[in-house]
Amino acid sequence: MATQAEVRAERLAQLPFEASANAGPKSVGGFIASVQEIFSHRELLDLLIRRELKSRYKDSTLGFVWSLIKPLVQLLIYYVFIGTVLGAARGVPQFAIFVFSGLTLWGLYSEIIASGTSSIVTNAGLIKKVYLPREIFPLASTGSAIFNFLIQMIVLLAAILLLGQFPISLNLLYVPAAVVIVLIWGVAFAVLLSALNVYLRDIQYLVEVAMLLLFWASPIVYSWNLVVDAAKAHSWLLEIYLLNPVSLAMLAFQRGLWQAGSQVNVIGTNTIQPQQWPAYMDVRLAFAAIAGLVVLFIAQRIFARLQGNFAQEI
Amino acid sequence: MPALRNAPTVVRVTDVSKRFVIRKEKSLKERIVNFGRSQKHKDDFWALRNVSFEIKAGTTIGLVGANGSGKSTLLKVLGGIIQPNDGTVERRGRLAALLELGAGFHPDLTGRENVYLNSAILGLTRKQTDEYFQSIVDFSEIEEFIDTQVKFYSSGMYVRLAFAIAVHVDPDILLVDEVLAVGDEPFQEKCMNKIKEFQAEGRTIILVSHSAGQVEELCDRVVVLSHGNVVFDGGAADGILALRESFEH
Ligand SMILES: Nc1ncnc2c1ncn2[C@@H]1O[C@H](COP(=O)(O)OP(=O)(O)OP(=O)(O)O)[C@@H](O)[C@H]1O
Ligand SMILES: [Mg+2]
Repeated sequence: MATQAEVRAERLAQLPFEASANAGPKSVGGFIASVQEIFSHRELLDLLIRRELKSRYKDSTLGFVWSLIKPLVQLLIYYVFIGTVLGAARGVPQFAIFVFSGLTLWGLYSEIIASGTSSIVTNAGLIKKVYLPREIFPLASTGSAIFNFLIQMIVLLAAILLLGQFPISLNLLYVPAAVVIVLIWGVAFAVLLSALNVYLRDIQYLVEVAMLLLFWASPIVYSWNLVVDAAKAHSWLLEIYLLNPVSLAMLAFQRGLWQAGSQVNVIGTNTIQPQQWPAYMDVRLAFAAIAGLVVLFIAQRIFARLQGNFAQEI
Repeated sequence: MPALRNAPTVVRVTDVSKRFVIRKEKSLKERIVNFGRSQKHKDDFWALRNVSFEIKAGTTIGLVGANGSGKSTLLKVLGGIIQPNDGTVERRGRLAALLELGAGFHPDLTGRENVYLNSAILGLTRKQTDEYFQSIVDFSEIEEFIDTQVKFYSSGMYVRLAFAIAVHVDPDILLVDEVLAVGDEPFQEKCMNKIKEFQAEGRTIILVSHSAGQVEELCDRVVVLSHGNVVFDGGAADGILALRESFEH
């Protein structure tokens, strides 16, 4: 009868050798291999997302409520100060829905990038001790950002229903398109920046500042019509503005959820024209998605190149 | 006591070299200030140089050497945690690693949550972990603290849990880097027994230790590292002598 040791030896003799990672294939093959490796670790990814959500609110009494309080306070600030005090709401119908939908989508994007960027460094403990596909960490940050986004989405949809603005039309299809674009670009930047941040810690602070600036480069608290009016004389400025995939996604998102933006409205004595949505929006969205996938591919390749030294640099 | 005559090779290390580049500056300001000079500003040195060996299934190898000789680096290369600059590492079978202190735990999560996280990393499904969970806790003897965040654990409790997980995921290869030293006497005893049990089951163990007694007791084979070079590879008793000798250089 074979002993346990013999059985094990026999099984091991059948297994192929796995070479260390840097001998693996390059470029497209390498990208596909990485995606497969991540996919085979999906159970772990799920666990890491839960861990991220849990550890974030672990010692707080209100827990998940905090993920709602922040955007609601933001909404309040923009509603009161920009909407009412500065008077933006007079030119923007259903200002609350408009601002909150913008904040919700922006929240997804900025959270993916901000928490993704620091994800490798904050998980140093794991990275130094065990091997796993390291892309999993920015992806786990993305997962927890998606979770927060979904909670905000529920609040947003509830508010839209309460205000009797439910936008049943084909425009609703713009919403998933917008989310997909934000996810692709967000993940691409998160993957790239998380790797660079290991070598240059300033990146994570730089990203915070950049996100503050970029917030104003998309139509979140001001409406698209305002941009169109401002750039009336130079239509190429609009094209540049729309090169930012997040601005484009923002418009698509608003077009889907903010019904009042596509209608003629009367506020007080003002008649407000519908938003002059950019022409060929669907083509532009398709391009933004494809360009995003290319950037994501490049980002993953750079990540793969850099990750070999993560454990010793952190 | 490699029990089998023609045991298969499970680890093959060929000509592995690892160079560390030590950059002294890390912030943007320092980089800019030192720009251009920065090539000269970095020191590099070889933590491993042309290391080659093979390990047959069922062997217990002691990896010894002076502080800074490259033992932990070699284990990390074996575990795939860092990549060598040169050479290849090939291996087969499931690998579990206990590298230096503090396995891959997340300080804010409880012991229980970390058990699930770690088992998932080592390739167990949730269901398998459910099955092993009680015996992991029993082995570690920290039942009372299993729902406490691990940041409140003592270093011994940490190692108990990490060791318990590593030995319950059914590894073919186990890497152990000095972690046993912080356990108390009964626990060390228990670990030694577990390791002996593992040997009988034909698992491969690579053990880094500064305790000559432990190495002599457990290992079939000893590899001595000195400044990143393998200076001895052979039987345990001779290995200890070679180690003593390597200190003189
Ligand atoms: N991430 C790193 N960056 C730069 N140098 C490193 C890094 N890790 C290890 N080294 C260097 O490599 C050399 C070998 O280190 P290693 O940790 O492998 O030694 P060791 O043999 O395990 O020593 P000890 O007995 O003290 O544990 C040391 O000189 C160390 O300074
Ligand atoms: Mg060491």
